[in-house]
Amino acid sequence: MASYILKRLLIAVPLVFGVLTLTFFIIRLAPGDPAAFFIQPGISPDVADQIRQQYGLNDPLPVQYLKWLGNVMHGDFGRSFSRAQQPVFDVIAEALPVTMTIAVLTLIANFLFGIAIGVVSAVRQNSFLDRFLTVTALFFYSMPEFWFALMMIILFALKLPLFPVSGLNEVGAEGYGPFGFLLDRIWHLALPVTVLSINGAAGIARYVRGSMLEVIRQDYIRTARAKGLSERVVILKHALRNAMLPVVTLMGSSLPFIFSGALFIEVIFAFPGMGRVTVEAIFARDYPLIIANTFVSGSLIVLGNLLADVLYAVVDPRIKL
Amino acid sequence: MLTACSKPKGGQALSAPAKDTTLVVAMLGDADYLNPVIGSSVTSANISGLIYPSLLQSEFDTATGLLNYLALEKSLRPVKAQEGARSPKGALARTWSMSPDHKSITYILRSDARWEDGKPVVAGDFKFAYRMYGNPAIASPRQQYLAELVGADRGAVDFDRAIETPNDTTLVFRFYKPVPEHLALFHTSLTPLPEHVWKGVKPQEFRESKLNLQPVGSGPYRLASWSKQQEVTLSSNPSCVLPKPGNIRKLMFRVVPDYTVRLTQLQTGAVDVVENVKPEDFGSVSKANPGVELKTVGLRVFDYVGWSNIDHDWYHKSGKLRPHPLFGSPAVRVALTHAIDREAIIDGYLGSYGTLCNTDISPSLKWAYDDTIRPHAFDPALAARMLEQEGWLPGPDGIRQKNGRRFSFKLYTNAGNDRRNYACVVIQQNLREIGIECKIEMQESNVFFENLQSRNLDAWMAGWSIGLEIDPLDVWGSDLDKSRFNFTGYRNPRIEQLSELAKSKMRIEDARPYWVEYQQILHRDQPVTFLYWIRETHGFNRRIQGAVLNISGTFYNIDDWTLKPSANAAP
Repeated sequence: MASYILKRLLIAVPLVFGVLTLTFFIIRLAPGDPAAFFIQPGISPDVADQIRQQYGLNDPLPVQYLKWLGNVMHGDFGRSFSRAQQPVFDVIAEALPVTMTIAVLTLIANFLFGIAIGVVSAVRQNSFLDRFLTVTALFFYSMPEFWFALMMIILFALKLPLFPVSGLNEVGAEGYGPFGFLLDRIWHLALPVTVLSINGAAGIARYVRGSMLEVIRQDYIRTARAKGLSERVVILKHALRNAMLPVVTLMGSSLPFIFSGALFIEVIFAFPGMGRVTVEAIFARDYPLIIANTFVSGSLIVLGNLLADVLYAVVDPRIKL
Repeated sequence: MLTACSKPKGGQALSAPAKDTTLVVAMLGDADYLNPVIGSSVTSANISGLIYPSLLQSEFDTATGLLNYLALEKSLRPVKAQEGARSPKGALARTWSMSPDHKSITYILRSDARWEDGKPVVAGDFKFAYRMYGNPAIASPRQQYLAELVGADRGAVDFDRAIETPNDTTLVFRFYKPVPEHLALFHTSLTPLPEHVWKGVKPQEFRESKLNLQPVGSGPYRLASWSKQQEVTLSSNPSCVLPKPGNIRKLMFRVVPDYTVRLTQLQTGAVDVVENVKPEDFGSVSKANPGVELKTVGLRVFDYVGWSNIDHDWYHKSGKLRPHPLFGSPAVRVALTHAIDREAIIDGYLGSYGTLCNTDISPSLKWAYDDTIRPHAFDPALAARMLEQEGWLPGPDGIRQKNGRRFSFKLYTNAGNDRRNYACVVIQQNLREIGIECKIEMQESNVFFENLQSRNLDAWMAGWSIGLEIDPLDVWGSDLDKSRFNFTGYRNPRIEQLSELAKSKMRIEDARPYWVEYQQILHRDQPVTFLYWIRETHGFNRRIQGAVLNISGTFYNIDDWTLKPSANAAP
């Protein structure tokens, strides 16, 4: 397995690199100008040109590419155009913890609820409970996140003021002490994590239900029951483990989400996370930041796929890598 | 656990006394640089205006629309007692004198102002800052302010001759040509930087410098903390003498990107100020929370429909000018304005927060505004007659034609603007009724702007936000290479003459006749169809007292604001 992983990692290097090169040219071909903000009445016409000079955008494209290539080889992805010339990885490092907190909490909730609902509705297939859970899950699954989030805010922050409307912490939360600060943070995360996980759990529940239904019809489940094992052990130990195979793939492909962020939720709840960094960079034509983001998410997709394949082999001994 | 922390009601987690000393302003995006030389957003300018000292205090006179400049012992115009009057104590200059030939201005500075680190604010700090403003490697968006200094006419300001500092409290600016006093005051009052802090920083590293994160100022507030993309917190600066430490102990500028959420927070009291509330929400905002009031600023922003006056394709191909086949004639453009029901757009969307726009001189600039102009009334019959006189006759499909060319075009605008979207649809219908086919196309803002810049569009809807100084040549100048914002290709030498004549007047009031003629020409020629001025409207929590707004800014006198103690605070 080690040599398989190594081989996949070696293939990943030119793959990610190719993605970056493609991004480098595509964003420069897109209409728009990183210095466009400085083209307005009252600002000297020289400014936009000086800014482009600073960014090195006045060089011919091949020269720009070679310079960029040289810097990237040294691990220097440059400084952000739109965010006060911060090194791009500083920008990402500031946004990542926020995004990861939300994403990890969401994923845990997603899988816990998703698997629980999926198992229940598979075991009680076609019962009222199953129908109810299925319809509810579909209802939430098809609901647009941004709209759902706004409705939750109106309900639980405006009409019933139980939760804060947005932000990571209350004004003046620094004075609450470390425990109070943490509670305040959790209080602020409650609504967004709920919105994200209701949506995600509904999807996962559908997967689990489907694969569970297939598994409980297998012979070895009948055998387990015939051995006289309790229903709980049959379902949770024998059936669930096998039903988890497709869900493991989902876990692997969720990895990029942990780092890429959930744009709508970040905008609505005013979290300074990766989703906003990415989208704002694109609108501002902030080339270095776009490329750094592509690098992060591209690498993670490759790693996520690898992880899913490895996990597959771990949970299913029949698969040999 | 949730009940434990949800005990404070509706986001008012602060205990009453702490809340009573903190003002929270919601902002759309973070400040870029808290450095007056390179900060480019309005937010940055608002915040650094509170941190840094200013040479003069400027005051907007709503009765005339003129800016007044105040030093400790002198003012450009007599100071009127008006609401929100600025204290001259905010100025670093004690007085100034303009040379008789209008080619230099000398300031005498006060000696008691200190930077936050205790060092005095001296004339050298201004000279140093102006070198930074003028350095091409720094690319300051304010380098236009240096355009009249000695040497600027030959390409680069000669700082040794243009700015002199004979001693710490004397500051002299020299110009290469006579400059009206109000313009000299405007252009020489850029914010200084502490030379002793910044002098070691190379211009190439100026934008990257860590010093940008710890601004050293001497204004009524100082930076307490800055979490990027979240909030900027300012605290009142106890050592400030310009004019005094800010009244409210803490100002918090929080980034809330989503409009609906900003509005909700205003209603729950989690934030106190939200800028640019949309007209469709006025009713619900004040109904949901009587503790919120809406305040409007003057008229500074207008929308218009741009008509390409020249044939852009031909101009791109041959470099030569010829009238646009559809919009080249002034009579056609006037007819189009008559055909568009501008009042209906205002009534349908802006209500009392919009007013008809005739030209790009704002009614708020009363000293220059021509109130005798009669707006082109909505009159489809007249519009049709005018088009027929121009040879545009109804075709077999109901669309007017002339020499085989159908009167059909695409109206472009930027996506995501509800107001322009609404206006476009009304215009499309209005034009359909007089036999003109108009297709609407929305473009992503960057793409739209680039198309405008390169003069690729025949017709579009956009807007301008005007400056407090009237300077129309960027938009109407005849030299299309120099006038980058003349998207229409409108050319009229008289407009240029009038602007030059107006600018050459040493007293701004004397320029009025030129601006009146300017407005009449624009009204007659309709290079664009001016639609409506928008009264920008901001939401304020009523606990804020003493806030005065005008077109020079929402936070015009924020250091004078106070907060009413909350009613439920136990005495």
